[in-house]
Amino acid sequence: MRQAPLAGGVALALLLLLAAPSLVVAGASLTAGSIVQFPPEGLSLRWYGKVLEAREVRDALLRSLVVAAVCTALAVPAGTLAAIALARWRFRAALAIQLYLLLPFTVPLIGSGIGLMLLFGELGLLGRVWPVGIACCVINLPFMIWAVAASVNALDPELERAAASCGAGPVQTFLLVTLPAVAPGILAGALVMFVLALNEFLVSLLLVDARTVTLPVQIYTQIRGVITPDLAAVSTVYVLVAAAAVLLLDRMVGLEIFLRSR
Amino acid sequence: MAIRGGRPAARAGRPPATAYRLSWRILDALEAVAARWPARAEGAVKWLLLAPALAVVGLLVFGLVVMADASLRVMDFRTYQLGEDHSTANYVRLFGWGAFHATLWRSLLATLLVTLFCLLLAFPYAYALTRTASARLRRVLLVGLFLPFFVGQVVRAYGWLVILGQQGLVNQALGLVGLGPYRLLFSYPTVLFGLVQYMLPFAVLMLAPALAAIPEEIERAAASCGASHPRTLLRVVLPMARPGLIAAALVVATLTLTDFAMPAILGGGTNDFLANLVHDQFFRTSNAGLGSAIALVLTLLGTTVAALLLAAAGVGALGVRGAR
Repeated sequence: MRQAPLAGGVALALLLLLAAPSLVVAGASLTAGSIVQFPPEGLSLRWYGKVLEAREVRDALLRSLVVAAVCTALAVPAGTLAAIALARWRFRAALAIQLYLLLPFTVPLIGSGIGLMLLFGELGLLGRVWPVGIACCVINLPFMIWAVAASVNALDPELERAAASCGAGPVQTFLLVTLPAVAPGILAGALVMFVLALNEFLVSLLLVDARTVTLPVQIYTQIRGVITPDLAAVSTVYVLVAAAAVLLLDRMVGLEIFLRSR
Repeated sequence: MAIRGGRPAARAGRPPATAYRLSWRILDALEAVAARWPARAEGAVKWLLLAPALAVVGLLVFGLVVMADASLRVMDFRTYQLGEDHSTANYVRLFGWGAFHATLWRSLLATLLVTLFCLLLAFPYAYALTRTASARLRRVLLVGLFLPFFVGQVVRAYGWLVILGQQGLVNQALGLVGLGPYRLLFSYPTVLFGLVQYMLPFAVLMLAPALAAIPEEIERAAASCGASHPRTLLRVVLPMARPGLIAAALVVATLTLTDFAMPAILGGGTNDFLANLVHDQFFRTSNAGLGSAIALVLTLLGTTVAALLLAAAGVGALGVRGAR
């Protein structure tokens, strides 16, 4: 850094730019006044109380939690088993399988969203909450596989062979050796899936109707009308959840692994 | 029953049967079930493990097939049903449709500009991130990257509404010196600004591993040969970071080209991108056929760019190393 104070300066300025919306939203939510402004006019937590009273927002929050739970519940077994299978067995079409499993990332969200909307429409699943969770699992599944694959790669296969030579059967080896060893990856993946599903906007927007709006869609609808501080309070909850997720991820896997070249 | 019959030796030496823990019994039962698995079907195990993930992604593939099918049918506005016959009428209409052309060019221009700005800004951020000697600065910069990743687009766009709105932070500040208020929202530059801010973390995350892979000794070697620092960056670091730059550019480009939220919220309906056009076809004009056609064109455009990225990144992009 001694040679490049400029890069450091630019980076810090950009850091401010990245954080600005979150900081401003959090600041605006603390206002005691009745309009959104920054700096807030007097400090109070009253808008947080208002959120719990506002039925629309509260219901949307509950729906988003259901969506995130469904998404995670489906993604954890599907992603974990796939990552273990890909790392531990030879597949003849391994490259094709990987490209296929990466489709959720290569297909743009608007494409996946419209496709799933039409498919769920034909199946009569539109207007319910849990299919949104399934859709969120579909579009983010590679994150789950990624997270577990990193753990499986780090696990020495000798460990599993040692368990087998001590007399453990395949099920015992899987449940008592493999799974605990990759647990950090599973936890990290589950966390990412949960938080991303909590935040998913476009695919939610396409799949919900007026009675089943999720929280991001609710926020989107309300900011097109009058902006009230209770929305800032809800948004701040999102910022806090994100902060908690980042800290947890840092604890579990260490953010620095993202700097390593593959 | 297989457990009791199969384990007489194990039980013989144990005085009370209760000493054999319940969890062991469950494991034994599972083991016995697994042992029943025919040896011939050994190869099916890996496919069984893979099956749930294949099925989940299968939903996406099915969806795309339904969408492709819908794009080939013409909407009948008397019944609001898609016609039975397949034709390319929607695509023909698309290519002669002024609004589509305008939106396409607006999206493509935005993609170009946002990608350029993102690379320009991501480079110093990634450079500082990978070269700083201070562990604390690195941590702060990393958290600054990941926090926005988990704060959804809607919340971030909402923050910009509060900052840039008619009564927003910027206009309040300008008002103090007797300027404004200016109409900062709902314009093309604002959408671009929001997109750059949104895409920056993705660009840095793609670029940082490439920069981390360049040994610092190389920079020192260039310096000891008399190259100034800017010259070293331009002639040594930048060319070596090319794979990372390409990866970052492609990720930012696909995400920008297909973005919905920023044009919708910061553009306020006046600066729609292709994804907004798709949404309007479905939810305003109820033309599922034409909407599907645009969505498919967009999907093909986006997937092509992403496929280029995968080809550039090489095999194993899922991070799976495969059996040794």
